[in-house]
Amino acid sequence: MKKKKNILSIVLTTFLFAVIINSCAPTSKITDKSGAQLWGENCMRCHNAPSPADYSDTQWETIGMHMKLRANISDVEREKIVAFLQSAN
Amino acid sequence: MKKIELLIVTTLLISLSTGYAQDSTQTELNKSRLSGTDASGNTKMLLTAVAWFGFQAHLNDTVKTDVKNNFNSYGFSPMFLWKLSDKLFFESEIEINNGEFELEFAKLSYSLNKYITIGAGRMLTPFGAYAERWEPVHIERFPNAPLRPDDDLLPDNTHLFWGAIMGVDVRGGIPMGSANMNYSLYVSNGPSLAKDETGALLGGVVQYENLDDNNNNKEVGGRIGFLPFSNSSLEIGFSGKHGIAGDEGDSAYKNIGATAYAFDLNYVKAFKPLKSIIGIRSQFNSVTIDKSNYIIPDDSTGATYTFDNTLQNYFMQVSFRPALSKNKFLQNIELLFRYNAITPPKDAVWGPKDTNGKGGTITRTDIGLCYWLSWRTGLRFAYETQKNPDGEKNNQFLIRFATGF
Repeated sequence: MKKKKNILSIVLTTFLFAVIINSCAPTSKITDKSGAQLWGENCMRCHNAPSPADYSDTQWETIGMHMKLRANISDVEREKIVAFLQSAN
Repeated sequence: MKKIELLIVTTLLISLSTGYAQDSTQTELNKSRLSGTDASGNTKMLLTAVAWFGFQAHLNDTVKTDVKNNFNSYGFSPMFLWKLSDKLFFESEIEINNGEFELEFAKLSYSLNKYITIGAGRMLTPFGAYAERWEPVHIERFPNAPLRPDDDLLPDNTHLFWGAIMGVDVRGGIPMGSANMNYSLYVSNGPSLAKDETGALLGGVVQYENLDDNNNNKEVGGRIGFLPFSNSSLEIGFSGKHGIAGDEGDSAYKNIGATAYAFDLNYVKAFKPLKSIIGIRSQFNSVTIDKSNYIIPDDSTGATYTFDNTLQNYFMQVSFRPALSKNKFLQNIELLFRYNAITPPKDAVWGPKDTNGKGGTITRTDIGLCYWLSWRTGLRFAYETQKNPDGEKNNQFLIRFATGF
């Protein structure tokens, strides 16, 4: 009985995630943000914001993937931040 | 039972496929954009690293034979990052800490769509925010980690909220209106009941960092983070995990479970009137191990005892950096305060005790300063006072030079 309850909890949680993932639409407050603004806001949550000049375009691409996983930033945020760093270095 | 299993598989397939369907437009755009050197499949590799060197002085140690000051730590951790394609990514870190060599993590991740990335391997514990985000020495502002249930206080390192696990995870970041949320859900080998070098149980201490599993049960856990403000200045996280800690086939302990939860908070904001950046970070951890009977150490009769096996631990850190000041020296100074506490199970035979032999809370107050030589290199100083349940105080002064490159 306990096992069935646990399984049902997993099913409900997964379903809830599916609903959330498919129903979330960012507002213009989020979508209008520039890469520079996102760079300032997100990097400093854990560490000092790096200088765009510290890495090459290719290296920023790789770091973007790493930070997407480490800080769980969204894919759109990653793309904008990397584009900004590549344009400013 | 089979119906339920079918329901799980169907729900998972619907969840994953609908997420993919929503992302198809972006995927098509990516495909049409990719050409020449940007094409998917070109390996892009980056080698980065952190290094550190530290000094420690015990200030109120009156034992004449004790070493009272020491260059106590050095380390170097190269980190390898491989972007194998737009969807496939590998990351690994080797830590060489005071001469000990360890593969800290090695994880392969595949981005299924914008919101879901699946990973597998040895990974930093997605429990709380500390292990994944605040632990690296060039990010940690203090010369040392917060007070934690490790082998300085307990018979073994618990790795309750730091270190690495073996398993698979699913994670992602999701915009929600003007807010953001993120999630990490994982299945891992899970905890084990810690043992000493002879194989004897350490009376209910749990160890989370296991390369090999000790039973067929897997731990399930994860973290949900919520960033309520559009400027992402505040993040609140809730984590939970549950697994069986007893050895497979051990009739006495095979059903002993360990359930843990954590809250974390991170707030970073620039305050222009103060020309400063203020940071607050905190994490609360609690773990409860099912009650059981353990042999009393050094008791020739083999008598057993039991106790409420709950351990709680938290820290709260405040930082103040006048980064917006016109004075370049002040810009690079960061003032720090951290308060830490651990309450091990009061009736366990292990852990610090008061004068009546009962357990209590160990606290530590840390006052620190970090001078930033660059965005990733800092010289850290701290004065720390630890107070044990028996009233004994230990004061220490620490210095650490740490850099990321």
